[in-house]
Amino acid sequence: MKNAGHLSRRQVLAAAGFAGLAALTGCGSGDDGGDAKDLSKKRNGAMREYRAGQRFKAAKALSFSVLHNDNPVYPMKNGWLFWKELTRRTGVTLKPVSVPLADYEKKRSVLIGSGDAPFLIPKTYHPSEVPFVSSGAILPVSDYLDLMPNFRDKVGRWKLEPEIDSIRQADGKFYLLPGLHEKARSGYSLSLRTDVLDRLGLTLPTTWDEVYQVFRAIRAEYPDRYPFSDRWSKNTPYPAAALFSYLGQAYGVRAGWSYDNISWDAKAGEFVFTGATDGFRQMIEFVRKLVAEQLVDPESFTQNDDEAVQKLLGQKCFAISANPQELVQNYRYNLEKQVKGAKIEMIPVPLGPAGEVVIGGARLENGVMVSSKALKSDTFVAMMQFVDWLWYSDEGQRFCKWGVEGTTYTRSGGRYALKPGISLMGSDPDAPKDLQKDYGFYNGVFAYGGSWELVSSSFSPDEKRFQDAMARREELPIGPAHPLQSVEQEQASLWETPLRDHVTQNTLKFVLGKRPLSEWDAYVTELKAKNMDRLVDLHNQAQERYKKENG
Amino acid sequence: MVSVDRPTRGYRVFQGVNGVILTLVVVVTLYPFVNIVARSFSGERQIRAGEVTLWPKGFNLTTYKIVFQDSMFWRNYGNTVFYTVVSTAVAMVLTTCYAYVLSKKQLKGRGILVGVAVFTMFFSGGLIPNYVLITSLGLKNSVWAIALPNAISVFNLLVMKAFFESLPSDLEEAAQIDGLSTYGILLRIVLPLSKAVVATMVLFYSVSFWNSWFSAFLYLDRSELMPVTVYLRNLISGATTGGNAGAADAQLSQVGANIQAVTMVLTSLPILGVYPFVQRYFVSGVMLGAVKG
Repeated sequence: MKNAGHLSRRQVLAAAGFAGLAALTGCGSGDDGGDAKDLSKKRNGAMREYRAGQRFKAAKALSFSVLHNDNPVYPMKNGWLFWKELTRRTGVTLKPVSVPLADYEKKRSVLIGSGDAPFLIPKTYHPSEVPFVSSGAILPVSDYLDLMPNFRDKVGRWKLEPEIDSIRQADGKFYLLPGLHEKARSGYSLSLRTDVLDRLGLTLPTTWDEVYQVFRAIRAEYPDRYPFSDRWSKNTPYPAAALFSYLGQAYGVRAGWSYDNISWDAKAGEFVFTGATDGFRQMIEFVRKLVAEQLVDPESFTQNDDEAVQKLLGQKCFAISANPQELVQNYRYNLEKQVKGAKIEMIPVPLGPAGEVVIGGARLENGVMVSSKALKSDTFVAMMQFVDWLWYSDEGQRFCKWGVEGTTYTRSGGRYALKPGISLMGSDPDAPKDLQKDYGFYNGVFAYGGSWELVSSSFSPDEKRFQDAMARREELPIGPAHPLQSVEQEQASLWETPLRDHVTQNTLKFVLGKRPLSEWDAYVTELKAKNMDRLVDLHNQAQERYKKENG
Repeated sequence: MVSVDRPTRGYRVFQGVNGVILTLVVVVTLYPFVNIVARSFSGERQIRAGEVTLWPKGFNLTTYKIVFQDSMFWRNYGNTVFYTVVSTAVAMVLTTCYAYVLSKKQLKGRGILVGVAVFTMFFSGGLIPNYVLITSLGLKNSVWAIALPNAISVFNLLVMKAFFESLPSDLEEAAQIDGLSTYGILLRIVLPLSKAVVATMVLFYSVSFWNSWFSAFLYLDRSELMPVTVYLRNLISGATTGGNAGAADAQLSQVGANIQAVTMVLTSLPILGVYPFVQRYFVSGVMLGAVKG
């Protein structure tokens, strides 16, 4: 409490008693902040008129606390130009509470649970905001969207309503301000040694059937090696999580690390269980074929990333999953040093039976939660306007990503270029300064999402080609809103994990041939025994209820 | 000691087998450490390619230079030294006093005092109540948040209590007759005789405070206050969680494997340096207890 340095014994006892009381009563004091809807007394420092495209400037100097995810690649510094310029432009000083990235979620829960959270809690991935909803510790931000013109403008212009609906809770509100993307950005795909393909007279595959043919040709040339050995099996809940995720797209299913037990069947107009769909089976059959013909290294599903990359660099395999950063900074960089004449390219995700599609719903990013305490502050309106400007206005997003025009970057004709002497993620190894480390821009806490023009402005030539090809594909429709009530939510999470585990284990068994695919029906029966149908019904009922109540 | 001129045949066989087994154990325990040291002197490419085992490949000192130039590393390193010294001092004073009191059989309510301590071994208030307590006491962002909640390790307390109990009570009675007060007995008679156990406890406490990260992570909000263990943890696990789906690309860059290795070496170096010197007391402590019987 007061004078923290010197505490008498009595003070300590009293404080301990109070702390216990506070802990007991803290849970029940969710909404004593007066009338939540009446904001007239909370306009301190706010702008009278604040519209989309207008810069937010606080009427008086304000400061807000913010949880800051401290990335070891660019550790937070108080002297960053980001903080200074932000205060200069908006009159707002952000007070960061720095939390190491490695344990961000843990500290976030403790802070929220103890009622000690900062006003702004960014870097939250849906659905990790859901457990906090029932406690009343975080704000239903959807009630205050009228304070956020830029957010509403972007949702409307980019037709993001269905995505937004997907994060609504049973009360029809949402509790997270998600990052918004104009277009879905694809992350992962297959990369292949193009010099080997050239030597064998093969062209880059565009469909999974062609991938199969290419692998067969490589295997014929190198009978003692697996053409493909994959990674992202460790530190993820699924084996070969990246591969299944982008391979799943070809069959129109969410798999790998995109896996969700429940998915929307647009044709039938209802929710179905992902792991029991036809598309999921076909996907498994395809991987089984690759494994059976020894085109995929069976260790792909268990080895760690370093082992997989070492196989690639040691030419024990010729294909591996990639994202644009890993392709350039790891595979290509190291291959060129190690293997003479080696070339590696990442191909647009090969096509399958589902045609030229990408999985929908990928246009929301991690986002910001607002602590309920903020609503009690008289500067609440100003804070929401500020959040709207920083995370959702064109100017704010450009500022977070590229910094200050003329100081850290220049822009001409829609092209962004860093000023000489500034590097970004190794773009110029000899540059004395780094955009992230020394200036605090391009920080994952503030810079994400935005228009395609802004998002693509930092693509390398490789990624540009890849993303342009992917952006032409059609997005699969995502399901209608189907928020569960809190009792249902608890019931569902009891069923979810065993089902998910059963799907993962059996995917692996089928793929490795430990279980024949003729037992697929038996597998579906096992899922039923684990309450598959009841989970699906729960979601379908929730969807009907939501439709009835909210139109 | 056995008074035989020549060790028996069986004993020699035993020694041989023992030697082999212990050498294997040493190799197994030492290998990861040697590997990390070798990595710290190696080039990033050689590490990624899995070429580094016992000896550095692509030898260079630039990684050390890079880490040495990181002011945050040194700042956190200084914090660790400071936190360890303060916390160990506090812990030693409190544990010694508590243990000495408990070792007195004539003390009324001794059973309750032991019970209170042991109770905390099995039950705790839980994460959030603890956090609320520390915050309400105003200890957040200070060294006390680290030193006080962990000041008494019940295990160490019981070891020390057993040691004090084994000291002959005649000594204390004699001192009492010669006019020493209770505190005088503790400071002038008991503690000088307990150097071995005190040294062992200092070692236990300081190693555990040096390595601890959780309470610092929980109760400190600014990176310049963090101990080096939190810095290290962020460097290592932060780098391996980069592959998440949907992570913003700003999160995807990685910390080099060689930088991780250097940080690990520098962090464990002091403990390695101190151990051999304190170990002398550690061994004699065991002997002392044995002779008393």
